[in-house]
Amino acid sequence: MASIGIIANPASGKDIRRLVSYATTIDNNEKINICQRIVLAAQSLGVKEVFFMPDTFMIGCAVLDNLENDGVLKASISMLDFEIDASMQDTVTAAAMLEEKRVSCAIVLGGDGTSRAAAKRLQEVPMLSVSTGTNNVYPVLMEGTVAGVAAAVVASMEDPRACCIRDKRIEVYVNDTLRDIALVDAVVSDDFFAGARAIWDPDRIQRIVVTRCHPATIGFSAVAGAYTIVRDTDEYGYALRFGPGGARVIASIAAGVLTEMEIAEAQRLPLDEPYTFTADRRCMIALDGEREVPVAAGETVTLRVRRNGPWRVLPRRAIEEAQRRGMFRRS
Amino acid sequence: MSIMTYAEGIREGMSIRMRENPNVVLFGEDVGAFGGCFGVSAGMFDEFGPERVRDTPISEGAIIGCAVGAAATGLRPIAELMFCDFLTVGMDQLVNQAAKMRYMFGGKINMPMVVRMPAGAGSGAAAQHSQSLEAWCTHIPGLKVVYPSTAEDALGLMLSAIDDDNPVIFFEGKLLYGMKSEVSSKEPIPLGKGKIVREGGDVSIITYGRQVFDAAKAADLLAKDGIEAEIIDLRSLYPLDKALIEQSIAKTHKAIVLTEEVKRGGYGGEISATIAEEFFDSLDAPVARIGALNTPVPFAPVLEQYYMPNEMDVVAAAKNMF
Amino acid sequence: MEISNELMKDIYLQMRRIRDFEGTAAKLFADGEVPGFVHLYMGEEAIAPAVCACLRDDDFITSTHRGHGHIIAKGGDLNLMMAELLGRETGYCKGKGGSMHIADRDKGILGANGIVGAGHCISTGAGLSIKLRKTDQVCVCFFGDGSTNQGTFHEALNMASIWKLPIIFVCENNHYGISMSQARHQAIKDVSDRAAAYNMPGVSVDGNDPLAVYEAAFEAVARARAGKGPTLIECKTYRQHGHFEGDPATYKPKEEQAAWMEKDPLPRFAKFLEDNGVMTAKEIETVDAQVAQQIKDAIEFAKAQPIPSPESAVVDVYSDIVEEVRVR
Repeated sequence: MASIGIIANPASGKDIRRLVSYATTIDNNEKINICQRIVLAAQSLGVKEVFFMPDTFMIGCAVLDNLENDGVLKASISMLDFEIDASMQDTVTAAAMLEEKRVSCAIVLGGDGTSRAAAKRLQEVPMLSVSTGTNNVYPVLMEGTVAGVAAAVVASMEDPRACCIRDKRIEVYVNDTLRDIALVDAVVSDDFFAGARAIWDPDRIQRIVVTRCHPATIGFSAVAGAYTIVRDTDEYGYALRFGPGGARVIASIAAGVLTEMEIAEAQRLPLDEPYTFTADRRCMIALDGEREVPVAAGETVTLRVRRNGPWRVLPRRAIEEAQRRGMFRRS
Repeated sequence: MSIMTYAEGIREGMSIRMRENPNVVLFGEDVGAFGGCFGVSAGMFDEFGPERVRDTPISEGAIIGCAVGAAATGLRPIAELMFCDFLTVGMDQLVNQAAKMRYMFGGKINMPMVVRMPAGAGSGAAAQHSQSLEAWCTHIPGLKVVYPSTAEDALGLMLSAIDDDNPVIFFEGKLLYGMKSEVSSKEPIPLGKGKIVREGGDVSIITYGRQVFDAAKAADLLAKDGIEAEIIDLRSLYPLDKALIEQSIAKTHKAIVLTEEVKRGGYGGEISATIAEEFFDSLDAPVARIGALNTPVPFAPVLEQYYMPNEMDVVAAAKNMF
Repeated sequence: MEISNELMKDIYLQMRRIRDFEGTAAKLFADGEVPGFVHLYMGEEAIAPAVCACLRDDDFITSTHRGHGHIIAKGGDLNLMMAELLGRETGYCKGKGGSMHIADRDKGILGANGIVGAGHCISTGAGLSIKLRKTDQVCVCFFGDGSTNQGTFHEALNMASIWKLPIIFVCENNHYGISMSQARHQAIKDVSDRAAAYNMPGVSVDGNDPLAVYEAAFEAVARARAGKGPTLIECKTYRQHGHFEGDPATYKPKEEQAAWMEKDPLPRFAKFLEDNGVMTAKEIETVDAQVAQQIKDAIEFAKAQPIPSPESAVVDVYSDIVEEVRVR
């Protein structure tokens, strides 16, 4: 029976970047609305079962109530059964349960940070990331209805990986211990506390490692993208160290904020090769835009780009394939 | 000496202080280029500009609250409510904030603000745009309340209201706005001072606002019957000029209290009770209290006129005392 | 963002002063020494000290019924506060206000407030005053999630936005409006969502982390000082006690309370300071001891102050009128 999972992060899209830049706000009631469109589209194309991550705003329950109330719900909706923590851990837990249930597709609504949390556990189940967050290199800004169609298409395929890409990710080691992962970028900043979590001050950025980068995105990976383009299909990442003496680029580091930065050193980083440095002062590694891993002076940091991330659904390719296979034909 | 309408008196009072002190500002619904719903601030926008003659959204709570915050931090704001009936919407800010802050804070804050509001029936505006709610304000310790009847009083009381370090509620009789009268002085009129507008030895008519003119008509009628009425225009409801009332009653021994409010629970009752409690020995007859009916203000002219007190009620009450 | 060690130490000091003041107020209330109602700031101490660290003496704040924390953080005097709680003649308000009405005009504290949502509108007045007097002051309006269901919230944020007033609206979302949980009292989870309706930036931060609060407040204050208009900052936190002292708070699930106690801002920040070498354990102990002494001194001061004369009730209603005394 075709089933999908939905992880909708109620906390995405609210952080300080609304204040220090001109970032989008998507309120939680709109997230409910997006989820409704996903469910309606998916059930119309054969999805029978939808699992929601439970959350403090009870997005899944609201979807169930509203669609039932409107008399349009055909699929069965249920909440994943666990005690919520009201933190990023909920996304990690939900992703692990969806992986265990082997749902056909996991739709993740949030920003880069939410996708990163889900990617910690989604290894076999294809992941469709829909943007309701801030900088959003990783998730795609797309209509919920189309996301629902794409998920249903993936669920109907015997070979869904044909419409997916196995993503790269960055593994972050401090003194040889794996501390965390990133999907797009790991940024080393002068901060030593998580504070408001987001990073936005270019003067505090020391280094960046990216799995991919493009000048048509926003965030610090766009700085690397302004220097060189690395695609999701390329078998390498890139590492930059900022400082005087090298190329100057201008890039969109946040919504509406274009800043010049100077690149002291840049290097292509083949898959699996370590990028290592020793911290000369305490610093913080921000993963996909959020301050996560504090590093003390003298500790050794190793960043490694590997192709062992989640299977990311390419929605357009999937839907086109379905069209070719006649899935949208009705006799 | 000049002739001014009542509205012009109010406007001139505000303008005099605004010319002298940049911290005096006027805000309220449509007080700017529109000139105010009754035209009271007409021309002030051109003279003082949009910053100091400021249109507000339709948000009575925020209008009065804004005056409170502004008064607490260095301005001397004048806030206009379009109708005193809308006070209901901003009541918390007036009653719980403006009136009480000085006291709650141990006397350590000044609250120099004026809230202007048109009151009264007679314009066919029905139950939500015609009330006389002065008793709600006189009931609250911390508020001063004035209600002028002429252009000169409006001007002089406005100057004093702006100068006062306490919140002053400035009631305006909306039927009086176009009424012209002589203005011989542009000096402040102290709050708490009434005036005798007609002298007489037989009965005291204690009133304020538009009812001063009803009282005058009544006095003319009574005079034909040989009864000389003395009319006190209180001008300030709080502080109340008890000395003037006492002095008049000591002479006439009879008191009629005339207000336009719904009679039940009105400020007229407070004045009457004060006379009965404190000046009982001067009285030859029970105090007569005249007010509107205990109903909402009706719409149709015939109903509205029936609702409001008029000179005939005063004449009847007076005659009843002899 | 750079936050100096000195500033972090100062924020900790203020947090500790609030925690101890509130603990003492709770005890004095339980002992029957404080009349009336006492609403404690316990659990929310990361917010006011971090926000007020961005302010100057001549900036303004409006506060709430749960105001002790705001007043202490804005520089209120502990002795005068304690004396007021005990209803003494020399307390902040001469015994006429009590816990819910402490103000200090010289410190820009426009009063705690017994009416939920009243401060919103008052802050617009302070903002307008700043704008018309052409200074670079700002006004911080503190309020809870419960008050965002009052009409005043809408009126004030709208007015502040259309006039671009220098106001920082700081929502201390402690997840309860008296006994009603946020999930039951409003159809949103993030109060910051409402900012979009007023065309102002709205952000949510961890209200139990003073550094997160500081970063947002710092940016918002800078924005307000530069004449760019108001900001709504939502600080997610938790009211560790009941709505008022004496409220057993049986409506709060035990697991929820326990989870939030794990995130108690005081031990959490102390640990951060120690882990990051900002303060040693010994230095923290020393600060704690100093604060304990300050509170002890405040109680001693307050208890030594005279009870007001009954007749003093009739002064301070007006600047120039003394009301009639009671004749018995």
